[in-house]
Amino acid sequence: MNNIWKLVLLGAVMAILLLFALGLQNDPRNIPSPLVNRPASDFTAPALQGGGMIKLSDYRGKWVLVNFWGSWCISCVAEHPYLMELAAKTRNRTDFVMLGVDFRDTPEAARAFLARHGNPGYPHAQDPEQKIAIDWGVYGAPESYLVDPGGTIRMKHTGPLFPGWFEQRALPLIQGATKP
Amino acid sequence: MWIEIAHFATLIALLLAIVLLAAPLIGIHWQRLVWIRIGRQSAFAICGLLTLASAGLIISFLQHDFSVRYVAEHASLKLPVFYLATAMWGGHEGSLLFWAWLLSLFVAIAAWKHWNTHPVSMPWVLAILGGLLLGFLLLVLFLSSPFERLIPPPPDGRDLNPLLQDPGMVFHPPFLYMGYVGFAIPYAFAMAALITAQGDSEWILATRRWTLFSWAMLTIGIVFGAYWAYYELGWGGYWAWDPVENASFMPWLTGLAFLHSVMVQERRQMFKTWNLFLIITTFALSLLGTFLVRSGVLSSVHAFATDPGRGVYILVFMAILLLFSFGLLTHKADLLKESPQMDSALSREFSFLVNNLFLVAGACTVLLGTLYPLAVETLSSAKVTVGAPYYNKVFIPIMLGMLALMGLGPIIPWQRSSVTRLRQEFLPALLIGIVVTILAPWFGITHGSGAVATGLIFFVGVTHFGDLIRQARIRMGRESLSASRATWLLVTRNKRRYGGLMVHVGTLIMVAGFVGSGLFQEERDLFMAKGDSMTIGSWSLTLESVDKAAKRNWTADEAVIRAERPGAEPLILRPQKRVYNEHSQPTTEAAIHSSWREDLYVVLGDGVKEGVWAFRIYRTPLVSWIWVGSTIMVLGVFWAMMQGRRIKS
Repeated sequence: MNNIWKLVLLGAVMAILLLFALGLQNDPRNIPSPLVNRPASDFTAPALQGGGMIKLSDYRGKWVLVNFWGSWCISCVAEHPYLMELAAKTRNRTDFVMLGVDFRDTPEAARAFLARHGNPGYPHAQDPEQKIAIDWGVYGAPESYLVDPGGTIRMKHTGPLFPGWFEQRALPLIQGATKP
Repeated sequence: MWIEIAHFATLIALLLAIVLLAAPLIGIHWQRLVWIRIGRQSAFAICGLLTLASAGLIISFLQHDFSVRYVAEHASLKLPVFYLATAMWGGHEGSLLFWAWLLSLFVAIAAWKHWNTHPVSMPWVLAILGGLLLGFLLLVLFLSSPFERLIPPPPDGRDLNPLLQDPGMVFHPPFLYMGYVGFAIPYAFAMAALITAQGDSEWILATRRWTLFSWAMLTIGIVFGAYWAYYELGWGGYWAWDPVENASFMPWLTGLAFLHSVMVQERRQMFKTWNLFLIITTFALSLLGTFLVRSGVLSSVHAFATDPGRGVYILVFMAILLLFSFGLLTHKADLLKESPQMDSALSREFSFLVNNLFLVAGACTVLLGTLYPLAVETLSSAKVTVGAPYYNKVFIPIMLGMLALMGLGPIIPWQRSSVTRLRQEFLPALLIGIVVTILAPWFGITHGSGAVATGLIFFVGVTHFGDLIRQARIRMGRESLSASRATWLLVTRNKRRYGGLMVHVGTLIMVAGFVGSGLFQEERDLFMAKGDSMTIGSWSLTLESVDKAAKRNWTADEAVIRAERPGAEPLILRPQKRVYNEHSQPTTEAAIHSSWREDLYVVLGDGVKEGVWAFRIYRTPLVSWIWVGSTIMVLGVFWAMMQGRRIKS
C-alpha cells in the first residue's frame, strides 16, 4: 500500500472520529426556529382562569414571554419553580409580561396542576387542540418564546427555562432594544 | 424472577467474554493448545448464556412483568402477543442485547465450523470476536441494561410505539442486525489474516458464505425497512435518504464490492490488500450504523431510542476498533505478497476493478451526505439537511455505470479478451439497448436517465440470457441433452455463477421499479365529502363513507372508498387514521391496492370540517417490482451459497 493512501485512510478515520466526538456535544434542542425574527402569529383563546379571552396582540408595547406547557409534561414540573420565581420578580416591570399557553390539555387537569405546584399568577390561554402550538412550531413542552413590543418573536427556548435565564438571555435583548 | 436469571446469565457471559479474549492469546503466546480450546468452549457457553438471557427478557414480556422497566416502557396489557414477543428489539436496551446474542451465536457457529479448517487463524479470530463481545456486553450491562427493575411496578405498561406495531417493522431490525453482525466473522478472519501476515486465500474461503449470508440479510433488512416506510408512514415513498437508512446502505455497498473483488483474489491472487480493506470497512460501517442509531448524534425519524450518554461509550469503543483495524491494515499490508499485474483492460478483473470503484465511490458519497449535516451543525450552528436532490444527482450516474458494467462483467473472460470476440458477444445486446434507449421517449419515458436506464436493463438482460442460452447450447451439443435438461444442469452445477446472475436479474427488476416509481408517481391532495369523486390515472375514486373502526389496542376513523377502473371489478379501499390507546399521536394506515402495473395508495388525513376529509392519493407505477426484484436477489444469493469452495490451495 502506498504511503499516501495510508495517510489518507488514517486521516479519514481520525477525522470521522473527531467529528463524532464533537458532534456528541451538540445539543439537539438548539435547533434554530425559522420563526425567530418573524412576526408572532396572533391568537385569541379562552383564559384558563377567571373566564374571558386572551389575545396576544393586546400586549403590544411590552415584551411577552410566551410559555407553552401542559399538565402532562414532566419537564414542566421541573421548570415550574423558576416560572414562579420569575413571575414574582418581574411583577412590577411595566415592559415585560408572561403568558402561558396550556396545550393538548384539559382545563381541569391544568387547574389541578397549578393548584398542586403553585400558581405563578400570570394568565394562561387554553389550546386543547394545539392550534396555537402548531402555528408556533412547538414540538415539545416546555417551549418558550420571547416576543418584542412590536409583536416579533425574538428568541425561542426549547426545554425548561433555567434559573438565571431572564438575566442571561432575555435582559440583554430587552435592554439592547431600548438603547438608542 | 426470569429477569434476574437473564441478568445473571449476561453477567457470566461478560466474564466468559474476557476468557474468550484472553485464553486464545495466552495459548498462542505459550504454544498451549488447551488454552485455545478453553477459548472455544467459552464461545459456546456465551452463546448458551445469552440465549438464556434473551429468552428471559422475552418471557418477561409475555408475562407482562411491568416491574421490569424495559417491559413497562415497551409493552402494555393490550399489546398483541406477536408484538409482545418481538418487542424485545423495540427499544434501545433490548436491541443491544439482541445484537450481542446474534454475535454470540455467530461466534459459536464460527468456532464450531472453522475449528478444523483454520487452525492458524482460529485463536486470533476467537480473541478478536471475544473483544467485540466484551465491548457489547459492557454496554448492555452497565450503560443500557434491559434488566432494571421498576419499583413499585406500574399496573400497565406504556405500550410499544404504534409505528413499530407493524409486521414490516418486526422483521426489519433482526435481518438488519443479522447483516451487521454477520460481517463481524469475515472481519475477524481478515484481521487474523493481517496479524499472521497470511493474506492468501485461507481467510477468503472461510468467509465467502458468511459474507454472502450477511449481505443477503442486510438486503432483506433494508428492503423490509423500505417496505415498512412505504406501508406504514403514509408518504407514498419507500426511501428517504435518511441518515439511518444510509447507515445500512453503506455497508451494503462496500459488502457488495467485496463480494465481487474477492473473486479476483480467488482466481488471480490480486487485490489482497484491497479485499482486507473492503471487509474491514464494511464491518466498520456496520458499527457506524449502530453508532448513528444508538448514540443520538444524528437526529432522524429513527430516533426511537437514543441516549447521548451512551454515545460516549460507543464512540470510544468505535475509536479503539477503527484505529486498531485500520492501523493494523496500514502497518501490515506491505507484508502481503501481491501477485500478477492486470494483463488487459479488456478482462473481467478490470471490470471488477471499475465495479469496485463505482461501489466505493457510491459509499463515499453516501458517507459524505450523511456526515455533512453533522459537520455543519458542529462547526457552525446552522442546521442543514442533505436530501434526495443531492443523492439523485450523484447516485443515478453511479447506478447507470454499475448497470452497464453488470452487462459486461460476467461475460467478459478473465485475463484478456479481444475486440473481435467482444464484438461477437456484445453487439446484439448493445444494439438492442441502444434501440430501446432511443425508442423509450415514444413510450413515455422522456426523462434522460430513465431512458438510459431502460436501455441498460435490456442490454444487461440480453447479455445474461444470451449467455445462458449460449452455454446451454454448448452443453446440448456436447452431451446431446434436451434444452431444458441442459439448462437445468448448467444452473445446478455452477450455482455460484448462476446465483450471481440471478442477483443481477433481480437488480434489473428492481431498477425497473425505481424508474417507474421514481419518475412516474402521480400525487393528489384534496378534500372529499361523502359521495365526492376524483380520478387519478385510469382510476376513479368515490368516497362512500367515513366510519369508526376499532381493534384491541386501537380505534380509528376509517374511510370507505370505491375505486373503479374501466374493465375491472370495483375495489373497496379502507384507509385509516388510527389512535393507539396509550398514545395521543394518530398514525396513518394507508390503503394500498397493489398490482404488477401500479399501486394505488390512499391516505386519510384530518377532518377539515363536519363531513369533509383531507385525502392524499398516489398512483405509483411498478412499486411491486422492487419487492419482487429484491426477493429474486436474495434467492440468488442463497443459490450461490449452496455451492462450496472452488479453489484448492
